[in-house]
Amino acid sequence: AAAVALPAQAEKTYRLKMAETWPTNFPVFGDASRNMAAMAEKMSNGRLKITIDSKNKHKAPLGVFDMVRAGQYDMGHSASYYWKGKVPATLYFTTMPFGMTAPEQYSWFYHGGGMELMEKVYSKYNVLSFPGGNTGNQMGGWFQKEINSLEDLKGLKMRIPGFAGEVLAKLGASPTNIPAGELYTALERRTIDALEWVGPSLDLRMGFHKIAPYYYTGWHEPATELQFMINKRSWDRLPEDLQEILRVSIRTAAYDMYIQSYHESAKNLEIIENEFPNVKIRSFPEDVMAALRQANQDLLTEKAKEDPLAKEILESQANYLKTVRRWTDISDKAYLNSIAQ
Amino acid sequence: MIGIVMFFVALLALLAGFPVAFTFGGIALIFGLIAEGPSMFAFMPFRIQSIMENVVLMAVPLFIFMGIVLQKTRLAEQLLESMGKLFGGVRGGLAISTVLVGALLAASTGVVGASVVAMGLISLPVMLKYNYDKSLACGTICASGTLGQIIPPSIVLIILGDVLGIPVGDLFQAAVGPGFVLIGIYVVYILVYSFFKPEAAPAIPADEDIEHRREHYIRALKAIVPPLALILVVLGSIFAGIATPTESSALGGVGAVLLSVVYGQFSWKMLYDAAEETVKITAMVFAILLGATAFSMAFTYTGGDYIVEEVLSNLPGGAMGFLILSMVAILILGFFIDFVEISFIIVPMLAPAAIALDIAPVWFAILIAMNLQTSFLTPPFGFSLFYLKGVAPAGVQTMDIYRGVIPFILMQVGVVISILLFPEFYGLVD
Amino acid sequence: MLMQAERVINRFSDILGKISSILFLLMLVNVFFNVVARYAFNAVWIGSQEMEWHLFATMFMLGVPYTLRAGGHVRVDLIYERLSVGKQSIIDILGGLVLLLPFTLLVGYYGIGFAYEAFELGETSGDPGGLPYRWIIKAVIPFAFFATAIAGLGLIITSILNIKHPERTEPHNNHESSL
Ligand code: NA
Ligand code: NA
Repeated sequence: AAAVALPAQAEKTYRLKMAETWPTNFPVFGDASRNMAAMAEKMSNGRLKITIDSKNKHKAPLGVFDMVRAGQYDMGHSASYYWKGKVPATLYFTTMPFGMTAPEQYSWFYHGGGMELMEKVYSKYNVLSFPGGNTGNQMGGWFQKEINSLEDLKGLKMRIPGFAGEVLAKLGASPTNIPAGELYTALERRTIDALEWVGPSLDLRMGFHKIAPYYYTGWHEPATELQFMINKRSWDRLPEDLQEILRVSIRTAAYDMYIQSYHESAKNLEIIENEFPNVKIRSFPEDVMAALRQANQDLLTEKAKEDPLAKEILESQANYLKTVRRWTDISDKAYLNSIAQ
Repeated sequence: MIGIVMFFVALLALLAGFPVAFTFGGIALIFGLIAEGPSMFAFMPFRIQSIMENVVLMAVPLFIFMGIVLQKTRLAEQLLESMGKLFGGVRGGLAISTVLVGALLAASTGVVGASVVAMGLISLPVMLKYNYDKSLACGTICASGTLGQIIPPSIVLIILGDVLGIPVGDLFQAAVGPGFVLIGIYVVYILVYSFFKPEAAPAIPADEDIEHRREHYIRALKAIVPPLALILVVLGSIFAGIATPTESSALGGVGAVLLSVVYGQFSWKMLYDAAEETVKITAMVFAILLGATAFSMAFTYTGGDYIVEEVLSNLPGGAMGFLILSMVAILILGFFIDFVEISFIIVPMLAPAAIALDIAPVWFAILIAMNLQTSFLTPPFGFSLFYLKGVAPAGVQTMDIYRGVIPFILMQVGVVISILLFPEFYGLVD
Repeated sequence: MLMQAERVINRFSDILGKISSILFLLMLVNVFFNVVARYAFNAVWIGSQEMEWHLFATMFMLGVPYTLRAGGHVRVDLIYERLSVGKQSIIDILGGLVLLLPFTLLVGYYGIGFAYEAFELGETSGDPGGLPYRWIIKAVIPFAFFATAIAGLGLIITSILNIKHPERTEPHNNHESSL
């Protein structure tokens, strides 16, 4: 990047193709990617044009990582934990049960060494990864029956994919795969006893509140962070100013999505509570939470033993959590507690 | 532009008679190469994998298998014959029975390929045996097999719920009324048609002997109850929460095998033959899906989606004008592309306008779903037509099927218009 | 020579058909078993659930070449049905060379890289208790497409033989005749 660029060069338009995991016009998640692309184009005065292909076009929602890695797409908007079957250490850059909240996790990413660790994991695959928008605390799911004790978890058939499902399985629950299209019928007919989706922001339109009486608060995804990723070669091709514009657009879009999600959740929760007063919002009892926490800890210890990189990331998160949680406790938590008195 | 040329070339190529699946794939390849070069096809494995992983599609082979076992053991034949006889001297009894069985199957699957093929296997041979007009038989089967699309559970409704942000349950509920209307109209049509053209749908001769009538009814019931019970068990397993709709089709398959044991028709050879036939028909269906995904990839990646977008975003005039034009657009596009593409690519383009015009989303969704159901039947690319052709006996030609579906397409268009004009009747607007 | 090649290719496709048929029955049992285990015993194995679509996918993918050999792929026969065997054969030769072979070979080629990536990464199911060795199911794509190309070659050879020996009546599009 020369200090004085020729006008012709300055006018050059860079086009990036981005694949997102979500369907066309998917609310909140899809808004984040569109928002990012629009900002980048505006800030660059049209020199950086990002076209977005949704799942409906590329048909490979869980192939985004491969396609970006291979350069079929320059960018992707997805979530890191989807790649854990390919690269186990990617699991830790989305959210962890009993882990950090969104502000805590953003602090870890940008000031606590998270970005460096993410780079360490992704650079091997020629991909740059950035936080891509947070859903905020996700709900623990819709239940057909009340959970009063550990006994109630035994044999509980729940659609809950991934690591959280593994934690629940340790307590005797039966995590179950049900295709998204059949979730509603399966929960309604009690083919499964429970399911987790996202939170009010996206649950409302699935209609689960009409068929399941209990809505449990969350423990397993306290701060689900999406991900923007860029193929390294595509990134290197961009002049420095456009790289910076892209970086800023990504960071702003991530923040925008977090507050949008917060807003949507608040709004939709109000709708659920007003229109469906029979929905009972519950938290798991103490002994259940204690057992979940223990099972989670045991699993993390196992993972850390298997993979030195996992160990490094988990230690970084655990250490950072100690520091940052202390502040959360005496700031937000103490504030909420004291004004509630 | 390339997309449009591609359509017409595909149309001509299909007419030559090379297998549909590879015609789609080959045409996609030629145009993809011209427009973008071979690298576009690096996307194909991803698209194929998404078909492979789509467990909802497992209902296709499972229902086909159930249909084949019922056919091989002649249980299906007896079911339809007996139902036809119960209609006594009424002409068209077999066709009406086909519609009713099709409606039951429709209520247990949301996958059209599954029910059209199963109905083709079960009832086409029987109707032909009783000298039904080929076109009437084929039209009835395609139309009643396609009912699975609108009668819940239905994949189209699930996709539309997703795309339009409507709870799936609301859509399922809203679709029941229009579904029943459609069934009713089919039955009335068959009655009227066979009244005026008795030779097209002869009544099954009932036993003349009055003394034996009682015995006759008992025999009929004996033939009807087991296979009907099987279908009801499949449905029941969904409602009782035993199985998901997809899984229920496996219960149907196992149940059919059990029935064959009970009726002394079971043999390992029969089981293997049924499996082999299932594979052949399933592969026929999925090869079309594989070819079609290549086709739609070439279409969208060469800018076809932008052409469609441009046309649709310029639709003029008020809520009713918008609805009519978008219905016509979907109907025309339905001649060329399949419902998944339409739901995912076209509907999102229409949705913002519908919202801006304050059109009730559920009404809009049901209109689209009915319309898409029609697209399964419209020649030349209606998938139901291919599927039925794939299982039809040698004497049945493509033209018989094309001719047969036309009245049913008109009836569906009529129902779409009635939903458009009288949404209150269907409870689709407040 | 051609006849020999035709026989070998048909045999190959038939074997795939046999494998597919058995895979279908396994899938039927697999799904049934999972439903019963879940409903009656609250027992769910993610691996067993994933096995359902592994069997399903392999079944229909390997079924495609078999069905080509068995003449089960649907055609629009408005014109085709009225043509002589010789003209039908010409359509099949042209279609095979221009449409089927390029398509299946190119997709098969990209399928190799697709499966190899999964192998290289040691990709497994993302779900706990899911199936390992994802490359195997991914490798079904190139395998099935190359097998379809081979079956397509068989179709071309059959058509050539039908032209050379018009007295042979090897029907093209009559699925009943292949049973
Ligand atoms: Na369904
Ligand atoms: Na249905």
